[in-house]
Amino acid sequence: MTLSPLTRKKLQRFKSIKRGYYAFILFATLIVISLFAEILVNSRALAVHYQGRYFFPIYGAMIPGTTFGLDYPYETNYRELSRQFQIAGGADWVWMPPVPFNPLENDLQTDAYPPFPPSLKDRHFLGTDTSARDIVARLVYGFRIAIFFSLTLLVVNYLAGVTVGCAMGYWGGKFDLFFQRIIEIWSNIPFLYVIIIISSIVAPNFFLLILIMVFFGWTSLTWTLRTVTYKERAREYVLAAKALGASDFRIVFKHIIPNTVSVIVTYAPFSVSGGIVALTSLDYLGFGLAPPTPSWGELLQQGWDNMDAWWIVGSVIAAMVLTLILVTFIGEAVREAFDPKLHSTYE
Amino acid sequence: MTAYFIRRALLIVPTFLGITVLVFAITRVVPGGPIERMMLQAQQMQGREGGKVSGAAGESQRQPLSADQIQLLRAYYGFDKPVLVSYGQWLLKVLSGDLGMSTRYYEPVWLMICSRIPISLYFGLFSMVMVYGVCIPLGISKAVRHKSLYDNLTSAVVFTGYAIPGWVVGVLLLVLLASHWEVFPLGGLVSDDFDELPLIRKIADLLWHTALPLTAYMLGSFSVLTLLMKNSLMDNLSADYVRTAIAKGLSFKQAVFRHALRNSLIPVATTFGDNLSIILSGSFLIEKIFNINGMGLLGYESIIDRDYPVVMGILVISSLLFMIGNILSDLCVALVDPRVQFSSGR
Repeated sequence: MTLSPLTRKKLQRFKSIKRGYYAFILFATLIVISLFAEILVNSRALAVHYQGRYFFPIYGAMIPGTTFGLDYPYETNYRELSRQFQIAGGADWVWMPPVPFNPLENDLQTDAYPPFPPSLKDRHFLGTDTSARDIVARLVYGFRIAIFFSLTLLVVNYLAGVTVGCAMGYWGGKFDLFFQRIIEIWSNIPFLYVIIIISSIVAPNFFLLILIMVFFGWTSLTWTLRTVTYKERAREYVLAAKALGASDFRIVFKHIIPNTVSVIVTYAPFSVSGGIVALTSLDYLGFGLAPPTPSWGELLQQGWDNMDAWWIVGSVIAAMVLTLILVTFIGEAVREAFDPKLHSTYE
Repeated sequence: MTAYFIRRALLIVPTFLGITVLVFAITRVVPGGPIERMMLQAQQMQGREGGKVSGAAGESQRQPLSADQIQLLRAYYGFDKPVLVSYGQWLLKVLSGDLGMSTRYYEPVWLMICSRIPISLYFGLFSMVMVYGVCIPLGISKAVRHKSLYDNLTSAVVFTGYAIPGWVVGVLLLVLLASHWEVFPLGGLVSDDFDELPLIRKIADLLWHTALPLTAYMLGSFSVLTLLMKNSLMDNLSADYVRTAIAKGLSFKQAVFRHALRNSLIPVATTFGDNLSIILSGSFLIEKIFNINGMGLLGYESIIDRDYPVVMGILVISSLLFMIGNILSDLCVALVDPRVQFSSGR
């Protein structure tokens, strides 16, 4: 694929905006890391050396405890195994991930009730939540779910929103009025209500929730795009293109949409963070992804209920702020880079 | 242009019907309506009494209401008729100004809504004035000083404000300022002894309770509006007509305020109408967190409680506001941009 000089120039401009560029690199790194979260945050060991054989339990089927000479047939408890190997001395060893917990397990203690504060000794670096689940693990896996949720939502929403919005603004008239009615009806159906109805029948999973949110969320961009297209259509270049005999299709895709890109792109980062926030709000209220899916909203709810457990609220809000600020920085840089006009400043 | 807006106003009618029919139909489909809740309550009461008799009448306990009673209840709530028929009855009642009775609190819906409106209006107006008063000047000054230290610093603040949604800030503020340091109250709109306070103390008490939720409210629209203002003004500043104006000898200030600013208010104007519904319906998340009894919380609770008449009543009001707001947005666009032709002629 060869990039057009114009696109290359835009990318160059994007790189030259340091704040956004570094935010982008950091954000991309976070996403890639989250894809391999199993290596960093997991209750399964990275590697086990047992009686001269090596095991790599992270990816692949679970290894029953009997394999390592333990007396149970269910999944090996690698933290326990590690302790036993250490006591026994010998050549066997277990290499655990930095955070040796998965987001779903309860690491209860015998002499206290959760939530437990952060502790380096227990390797709960940010403490545990009210069910004694590790907060780092919940945050990392929650991030992975939230970000892919939001990206999928963005793509589908924009495809629908841009198409309809442009068409409304361009053709205007009856078409515009008809779709205005549809969208007005659409965006007025209380979104939460529908979610509650659906979650009272089935617990929504990832794709069902996206489907519901797209179904009621695609309208958000149409109003803006409609107004922008209205504005663009009234300009001379459209008239000129029409006088030259360009088809509607060509005018919309070659002339109007490139001129609205600056608007679409300005909204894109807001939509990514909007998606994350929407999922978090729903989870906060308890109508999002079914528990025990790791989620930031659920952590926030716990933090609100247990204000004394500052580490819950603190870590989840810090994670949200970091993620959302990165997205916003990227967005601002992208907008500056893709805006075909270089802003002149007057002396 | 006038014809266009009259047509728009008339078109509220079909849209309104569409929205209400859809939601009305949905309320019929959902399990857990008022009758189910009553049966559950009756069952619990019977269970408590029947516990002592140790299940003498096991069969009747499982079904506390007789078929006749259920039938009566269904008739009372209008569940015995087809959806469209009872929708028609509901609509006639609404048109005569009667929103019905709450199935949970047995109060007229209209009174329930009226008692909440002042609270939401108070927060809505307060935050709107603050937001527009800050955003437009801030956006202009940022656009004019693009890429300067001032621009970068305020951008960082605006982005941080944008990044965190208002209700999350609300939770943070509550944990820090109300729970940890106990500077502000934990929620509510007034103190318990509000009625006994002198006027000055009353105002102080109200403002003291308002501070945190108002911050949370403002943050929501604050950053978006500032960035929108800045970006659109920058687009216009780099346009040829501004360069021409300056080349002709206009001072920079005049070029900005007389030419560029007017055009860059168009995108800001498209969002103006949205305020109408925000002002009156509020944000249920913020109201829930701060325990403020506004419209937002009422709507949320009525949905959770399946209190259909209240849900429908709020829907009537919020959808009307939303549609009027949309027309208002278009009117604003038409006022600031004479090029815009809404009529269908090409």
